Amino acid sequence: MLEVRGLSAGYEGGDVVHDVDLRVDEGEAVMVIGSNGAGKTTLFRAIVGLRPASAGRVHFAGDDITGSPAQEVVRLGLSFVPAERHLFPRMTVHENLALGAYPSRPDPDTLTMVFDLFPRLAERRRQLAGTMSGGEQQMLAIGRALMAKPRLLVLDEPTTGLAPKLAAEAYEALNTLRGRGLTVLVAEQQVPLAMALCDRGYVLEGGAITKEGTSADLADDPEVRRAYLGVT
Amino acid sequence: MTASILDGIVLGLQFGLLATGLTLMYGLGGILNLAYGQMAVVSAIVTVSIMEAGLPVVPAAAIGIAVGALLGFVLDQTVFRPLYSLRGEARVLLSLLLSLGVALMIDGFLNWLFPLKGLSLFIGGGAIDVFGEPMRRGSLLASGITIVAMGGLVAFFRFTTLGRAVRSVIEDEEGARLVGIDPRKMLRLILLLSGGIAGLVALTRSMVAPVDVTAGFGITVFALIVTVVGGLGSITGALAAGIILGVINAIAASAIGTFMSLVILLVAAAVTILVRPAGLLGVKE
Repeated sequence: MLEVRGLSAGYEGGDVVHDVDLRVDEGEAVMVIGSNGAGKTTLFRAIVGLRPASAGRVHFAGDDITGSPAQEVVRLGLSFVPAERHLFPRMTVHENLALGAYPSRPDPDTLTMVFDLFPRLAERRRQLAGTMSGGEQQMLAIGRALMAKPRLLVLDEPTTGLAPKLAAEAYEALNTLRGRGLTVLVAEQQVPLAMALCDRGYVLEGGAITKEGTSADLADDPEVRRAYLGVT
Repeated sequence: MTASILDGIVLGLQFGLLATGLTLMYGLGGILNLAYGQMAVVSAIVTVSIMEAGLPVVPAAAIGIAVGALLGFVLDQTVFRPLYSLRGEARVLLSLLLSLGVALMIDGFLNWLFPLKGLSLFIGGGAIDVFGEPMRRGSLLASGITIVAMGGLVAFFRFTTLGRAVRSVIEDEEGARLVGIDPRKMLRLILLLSGGIAGLVALTRSMVAPVDVTAGFGITVFALIVTVVGGLGSITGALAAGIILGVINAIAASAIGTFMSLVILLVAAAVTILVRPAGLLGVKE
């Protein structure tokens, strides 16, 4: 469904991400793990069209989306949830969700699905997004992305700034979505959570993929265990 | 006193509507458009020229407003183009320079081609009593049109998908892109809309006092003051600040004199910035 080949991207001073190959098949959940500053955010922003790639191609569902701006990529069925969420703070929960379906009117069934997944959002539908807690904002960011009825949901560190209990709740919701057949690509520092969700994963270090494999294989890898699972 | 306040409200409604155009261009695209007043004057001059050619006032006014909107669109496609490759402060500063150039050019052309032209849409008929004060029909009609236009704008931004999309770009441009909204298209729409707003305000203003070819910079200055007080990027802030400053302006003009009213408006704006740097309802950066 998503195929990234030889992707490099970065800032004016030089590339942060080098020659990344990555694929996500339909129905899979795939993780990109790596420490802070490994280049996960730059990689994801280049994939979804928020930042130009300096080399390489990105294909999604048969289309070459390399260089397509984010506002066009989302219409093809790839929704991105950034770590900073980028909600509309002075608009209500409901308005945020409704805009997720732009340019269509929000689909009532999808809205019901989002409210079932995150009952807190239903309770707070008239509240301004900017006045909600970090956990609720993360729910809203995921909910808003779901309103576009994506085929692939890409999340950059959905646990950023969340207490452990809320982080676990966010992953529970992602697990539910997976069970319904949604394809997921997630970048995560909290590796145990991502491993429990995902079939496969890539390790990103210094802007390059250094390992890849099934979650089980990665969990058994001594270097991964030492660096990301806190096992010595 | 009541008469001053009523006059102030009439003026303030127009200020408020005028400022929404300016505040939207800034909030959405980081464009501070100093040619805004000239856009209004162009609408007024087009309207009066068409009326002189023999067309009735309503179609002439409609064409005048349409030309204002078209001017906004043309600016977006031509002079403002270099802005869109810049971000942040650089874009604001270049927009000041480019739009100032446009303003001077339009002023020059209008003064050269129509040195004595001005639009006055005087509405006949006797005065009507409002709260015991006689109000000219022109003032009442101007206020009525302005209130309807404001209501329409507020409804558009609150209840329509397109209006919400425009607001979302002001709120968070990246978030807007992530849900599929193209900020450039929204900005184009806003330049079109603000041109139309400028035209409409010029027409309603001419029901109260003449709008001549030299009125451009005065209109821009009023709109800027109201925008700053209301908070850059806030529609409701602009509307509220317009009415407040309109009343202050009218009271100052009648109590002290017209010569001081603009200074007093500037003082009011300066005090607002000192107390609330983001304006009454501004977007915090």
